[in-house]
Amino acid sequence: MSHDHDHGHDHDRTVKPMVDEITDFEVLEIALRELCIEKGLFTAEQHRHFTEFAENIGPTPAAQLVAKAWLDPEFKALALTDPITACKEVGVDWLAPTGFGTPSDFVALKILEDTATVHHVIVCALCSCYPRPLLGNSPEWYRTPNYRRRIVRWPRQVLSEFGLQLPAGVEVRVEDSNQKHRFMVMPMRPDGTDGWSEEQLAEILTRDCLIGVALPTPGVTTNVITATRPAANPI
Amino acid sequence: MNPDDPIGMLAEIAASDQTWPAMAAKYGVDNDLPPWKTSLDGLTDALDHAACTEGTLTFKERRDDEDALAATHYRNLPYPENQLMALAHSLISRGVVDEDQLRERLAVIRARLES
Repeated sequence: MSHDHDHGHDHDRTVKPMVDEITDFEVLEIALRELCIEKGLFTAEQHRHFTEFAENIGPTPAAQLVAKAWLDPEFKALALTDPITACKEVGVDWLAPTGFGTPSDFVALKILEDTATVHHVIVCALCSCYPRPLLGNSPEWYRTPNYRRRIVRWPRQVLSEFGLQLPAGVEVRVEDSNQKHRFMVMPMRPDGTDGWSEEQLAEILTRDCLIGVALPTPGVTTNVITATRPAANPI
Repeated sequence: MNPDDPIGMLAEIAASDQTWPAMAAKYGVDNDLPPWKTSLDGLTDALDHAACTEGTLTFKERRDDEDALAATHYRNLPYPENQLMALAHSLISRGVVDEDQLRERLAVIRARLES
């Protein structure tokens, strides 16, 4: 179709821009993958499965689980005593989160309940173990030696760097994940949420609340868009 | 090969100006991560899955190398470029991938993507 006609929309604004350049990094990722496949370490289909897993999961199952627990005492008891079964109720099967098993996501999951006097935060001091079937991929900072080393030594200081100031009367417990154990925080339901539906509650259960570096707050949702970088090409 | 030894071919890639923040700024894209990131996640997961196979690296080796290399040879790169470069470095230094073979493959793949 010819575009030299006069019409009522601007083509520059109908399509999101994309990077029209093949980077060395993109090429390197493909090359490494192909060489590993040719070496017989895994198949292309396995890689596709794992990539699909990485792309599909998000914070929703975890948020849904906690929201449900806030509303249903029986479900909350189940989540705290048999979290693997509770996870199935929000669509997560830890035995086969990707459909054929993952190497590091085992079924020893514990959900850590915050109280008025105890606040939990999770870490993997050794590497980057994380409850991915529930929470998706770990954030970059979770993987850094900075966080891993310091949260276990100076949890209040590190939490304050995330903007979370806890009263002196609240004990902070840092739970260290490992190859066999995964943890997730069940924060306290905040004031100002009376009468809220499960969907409304799930919206304020952001990833960081479930790691324990933030507290759920009415009005702060996973849908809040924050400016992480100034506009590259401001219009 | 000592895992700490520099690898010339990777140093050249690391010195390129094609990191995602640079690409995103150049093209006005607002994605936080490059499109190959989830494929890299798939690659590392698949490698961990294969960790019991002879001739590959273990999960711990991979992650320890990533921590060390991201703080040394690839400290000037953003994430996840530093993660990718560290993985490439580990695979070469631990003998899983041959450096010359990788160099040839890079050229083949670039030609394929540009065809």
